Amino acid sequence: MSATSTLALVAADSPASVGAVATALTALVDGGAAPLQIGELEDWAFVFRNADYLIGGALMTVGLTVASILLGFLVGFPAGAVETYGEGLPKRLVESVGVVLRGTPIVVILVFMYFVLGVPSIDLGVVTLSGAVMSGILGLGLRSAAYQSQIFRATLGSVDDGQLEAARAVGMSQLEAIRHVAVPQALRRSVPGFQNEFTIVLKDTSIVFAIGLAELLTRSYDLFVERTTAVLEVIIFISAIYFVLTFTTNRALDYLGEYYAIPGGESA
Amino acid sequence: MSDADSNPDADANADADANDAAESGDRDYLRVADISKWYGDEQVLDDVSFEMDRGDVTVLIGPSGSGKSTMLRCVNRLAEAQEGEIFLDGEEVTAPDVDVDELRREVGMVFQDFNLFAHLTALDNVALGPRRVLDLSEAEADERAHAQLERVGLADQTDSYPAELSGGQKQRVGIARALAMEPKLMLFDEPTSALDPELIGEVLEVMHDLVADGMTMLVVTHEMSFARAVADEIVFLDEGRVVERGPPEQLFDNPEKERTARFLDRIASHD
Ligand SMILES: Nc1ncnc2c1ncn2[C@@H]1O[C@H](COP(=O)(O)OP(=O)(O)OP(=O)(O)O)[C@@H](O)[C@H]1O
Ligand SMILES: [Mg+2]
Repeated sequence: MSATSTLALVAADSPASVGAVATALTALVDGGAAPLQIGELEDWAFVFRNADYLIGGALMTVGLTVASILLGFLVGFPAGAVETYGEGLPKRLVESVGVVLRGTPIVVILVFMYFVLGVPSIDLGVVTLSGAVMSGILGLGLRSAAYQSQIFRATLGSVDDGQLEAARAVGMSQLEAIRHVAVPQALRRSVPGFQNEFTIVLKDTSIVFAIGLAELLTRSYDLFVERTTAVLEVIIFISAIYFVLTFTTNRALDYLGEYYAIPGGESA
Repeated sequence: MSDADSNPDADANADADANDAAESGDRDYLRVADISKWYGDEQVLDDVSFEMDRGDVTVLIGPSGSGKSTMLRCVNRLAEAQEGEIFLDGEEVTAPDVDVDELRREVGMVFQDFNLFAHLTALDNVALGPRRVLDLSEAEADERAHAQLERVGLADQTDSYPAELSGGQKQRVGIARALAMEPKLMLFDEPTSALDPELIGEVLEVMHDLVADGMTMLVVTHEMSFARAVADEIVFLDEGRVVERGPPEQLFDNPEKERTARFLDRIASHD
């Protein structure tokens, strides 16, 4: 991800940070006159002085991502099953909600959750999740559910009907056949789709700035504004964090996929 | 209805079946009476009737699309007949209030394409039904699965996954999976049609063993020498109708209907 494209994205998404971006861009252009100095020691020192602040943002990013992916799975998996095996009203209802959630910009969903629904805060004992955080989790989580349901619809549907019929033929109910035969195979085939979805949610968490939350990317804008000469250093630093997060998660899912791979392949 | 869980030793059970078969006289263990079925406007079964005694082997033959698979599938209610009745061991299979899951525990089915569970080992393929449907303990189900895999000659392949097995081995796992439920009746839908010729023998051999054990079997197959060797009755279906039925000697050597003779000629010239 290049620095300018990130900035362009930010500028398009957020009227609030247009000022910050403009300043940052000016800094980049000015720096261009005297060649860009990525290794400027003072700027790196600035980044590391603020590392705590950025890492705090990274924790927010990770927390929102994990919670949203989990919620997305818990809601999206049954939804995918209903779309695959259901019929009539339940199926049409789930499909329609999915279409709406996938068709609405995430900013709108978040704003709706926070300002319109006014999702309340909850006290988990150890931590209290503010209304904004809860809105973020619900908004990102439900939208992820709408996408995850499509992953599972495709993978459940790809399990050969003959196997389900064989399960029915030994006397399993439809639900048992789905649970013991289709689901274990569909989950294995869902790993690549799941990797994509994880990466998308991770990056989309930045949009919670629209409801006043400051995760990794939003916090990095704050730093641009404070020290316009350190834009590139900040971007390199947060890109490294994003890279570590996506890389480790994708590798972990690769490993999971290999661990559970069916010996000899999937043909039956 | 189920006496399946009382005795994990299937061979002993089958012997008992064979004795019962010798004693009972009426051919009404399986009774298919005037079955008709339509898919949309197309009638695929037209007044089909035949009966089987316990321990009988009946072979359904007929050209492609004549309704053989559909007839088998009506017996375990994977397909629903619109008219007629089917009785198994005195109980009406086609009654609207029959618990189909319970019925299917007692009727084993073997498929042309094996339909093994791709994510499970041979052992788990066979043990899944006993575990989930018969509620046997893990150990009992595994023991039963082992015994059935041994019966089909796969004692040393219990840990193999379907993709690691040859077609003949897959089909034998498929047979063991059906047998592990200790069914009253086994349905075979062209069990050797998807196999390379050199693998057909091992599957037929297992089926021969089942016949010897006294299993009641309704078989769709094009293996005429197998049919001739083991069938008590051959039923020839064409366009959803029973054209002719009778013992193999009669039907194969002296068919009454011209249609039957033509079909047999065509099959013979293919071999
Ligand atoms: N699910 C279905 N929906 C609609 N038509 C069907 C269905 N299953 C079978 N048929 C039709 O019913 C007729 C009988 O099919 P069936 O599969 O029972 O024949 P078969 O004798 O087993 O043929 P084959 O030797 O090719 O297996 C065919 O015309 C087939 O197209
Ligand atoms: Mg068929």
